[in-house]
Amino acid sequence: MKTLYLDYSKCIGCGTCEAVCKFIYRTPRIIMTRTSYGLHVPLYCQHCDNPKCMRVCIRKAIFQDDQGVVRLREEVCRTCDSKNCLMACPYVAMMCTGGDNPVTKCDMCVTRAGLGPACAAMCPCDALHYVDRTEMASLETEASQKAYERVRKYIICPDCSAPAL
Amino acid sequence: MNFTFLCNTPPPKNGRKVAIIGAGPSGLAAAGYLACMGYKVEVYDKLPKAGGLMIFGIPGHRIPDVNIDEAVKKLQNDYGVEFRLCTKICGSEPMHEEAGDQFVLTYKSLGGRVEDNDAVLISTGTWKSRRLNLPGADLPGVYSGLEFLFPVRAAGYNISGVKAPDIKGKKIAVIGAGFTAVDVAHLALAQGAEKVYLVYRRTRNEAPCGTLEVSMLEKSGAICHELASPVRITGEDRVQGIELARCRLAQADDTGRCRPLVCDGELFNLEVDIVVGAIGEIAAPPFAHDLGLENVRKGQVRWLQMTNIDSVFVAGDALTGPSRVGSAVYSGLKAAQSLDQWLTLKAENRLNEYKGELIKNTDLP
Ligand SMILES: Cc1cc2nc3c(=O)[nH]c(=O)nc-3n(C[C@H](O)[C@H](O)[C@H](O)COP(=O)(O)OP(=O)(O)OC[C@H]3O[C@@H](n4cnc5c(N)ncnc54)[C@H](O)[C@@H]3O)c2cc1C
Ligand code: SF4
Ligand code: SF4
Repeated sequence: MKTLYLDYSKCIGCGTCEAVCKFIYRTPRIIMTRTSYGLHVPLYCQHCDNPKCMRVCIRKAIFQDDQGVVRLREEVCRTCDSKNCLMACPYVAMMCTGGDNPVTKCDMCVTRAGLGPACAAMCPCDALHYVDRTEMASLETEASQKAYERVRKYIICPDCSAPAL
Repeated sequence: MNFTFLCNTPPPKNGRKVAIIGAGPSGLAAAGYLACMGYKVEVYDKLPKAGGLMIFGIPGHRIPDVNIDEAVKKLQNDYGVEFRLCTKICGSEPMHEEAGDQFVLTYKSLGGRVEDNDAVLISTGTWKSRRLNLPGADLPGVYSGLEFLFPVRAAGYNISGVKAPDIKGKKIAVIGAGFTAVDVAHLALAQGAEKVYLVYRRTRNEAPCGTLEVSMLEKSGAICHELASPVRITGEDRVQGIELARCRLAQADDTGRCRPLVCDGELFNLEVDIVVGAIGEIAAPPFAHDLGLENVRKGQVRWLQMTNIDSVFVAGDALTGPSRVGSAVYSGLKAAQSLDQWLTLKAENRLNEYKGELIKNTDLP
């Protein structure tokens, strides 16, 4: 089962991942955010084992497919006012579209006929990978873990500054 | 990086030919899109290597060269995209000199490209640097960000005429706090500069590169002068120093947002041998006038990202001014899509159906 893995220590915040996602889907599902300590980082769906977005959805619009991809039946949530999922996701990965289907999310490009996620294909820094979940641990380094902690801390508390170097 | 992320295998050729001028991220993204649609694509660049500022501007520790090289090879070998390097394309206007001209072996005309192809995409980036506007700014030893960075990166190609600034043991002041300034400072430290000062008018909290980058620079040995603005560069026949004035952020206005900057404080001197003004690049594409780029920027065109000349499109920093790799890629993809739609409708004689429909600003990247 494959998923996306981002090594934040290699990411330079160039926004290419967001750009190609936006080109394909109009509302990007991986989005750049400027952290309080000044770096631009992409936030994206982790396709959690036990997804919070899915648990809080009152319409059962979110489901996990047999490949572990957390997917959304976009039409089903048209009439939902709760938008619980937007608040529940700890990675800010549920997106408002402003269109007829009001919410969208990353589906790892399952509709692109085997091409795989476009964001990972186009990252110029080899920071964003589409890998088997079992391989993720082998990609981690001390630097990647430190960088991830910085980003984590920012997501939990957007006003916090980066931990000392 | 894989510019043909929209297809798995090369499609059958559709019989159309496109020339792309400039092999930066916007041009290469467009080349990938068009190759996936079956176009025959030719890419021109004045430099000896494709990649644009991803190779010659952004340092290799940020974007490893090999990632770009492999992506270019894939376009070339698997998708038959042809690269015409060391070839500069000229319009009817006199050319200005810019970084990278040393490599040019062949000059070709824009008009010729337009005649020989179904469409042309201009993605030439912004290679003209904004100059420091100060007394002494024309002394030898004063560089723009790109003038300083480019030769060091290009020196690896052993081309006569490219002379990298002598950095070892020198004292260097870098003006600005964007990514170019940070890259210049890191490069200077790596090349053995004795002292590297980063001079910025505001504080690190306002620095476009962010506080983390500033503290990482300090950790590598740079000295940061915040709230300081250059007044003049001193020296007889070369740079000997730079005079700075202290600045302060004035009271916040009612919105609490805008804090104007006043640089009326005490003057002080830094003794330096080199001054690098990393205060931004300006969009100066060689054909701005021919193409009526002002109108394209405002969205007053007949077709998204198409210029005054029918079948000539524009994308990337050449259109938007300095941006980022991501925006350049997006702009290149949009232009390629627009170009393809235009040629398709033209072939079907249906362009008239869209006559008079102006492209809205919101469609622009
Ligand atoms: C020092 C520096 C650091 C940067 N750091 C970052 C960063 O960390 N992250 C980020 O996202 N962005 C960064 N940028 C910005 C980024 O590099 C640019 O926004 C991006 O490369 C623009 O892409 P482009 O395709 O529009 O143009 P370019 O990359 O500039 O490519 C244009 C190409 O056109 C060629 N060309 C120009 N004129 C002609 C002509 N007449 N004939 C033939 N060829 C021609 C040039 O040789 C060049 O190869 C940085 C820029 C600089 C200068
Ligand atoms: S494309 Fe890669 S380097 Fe650029 S912002 Fe996305 S993950 Fe980071
Ligand atoms: S949207 Fe958020 S909660 Fe749901 S699977 Fe993705 S990261 Fe997890």
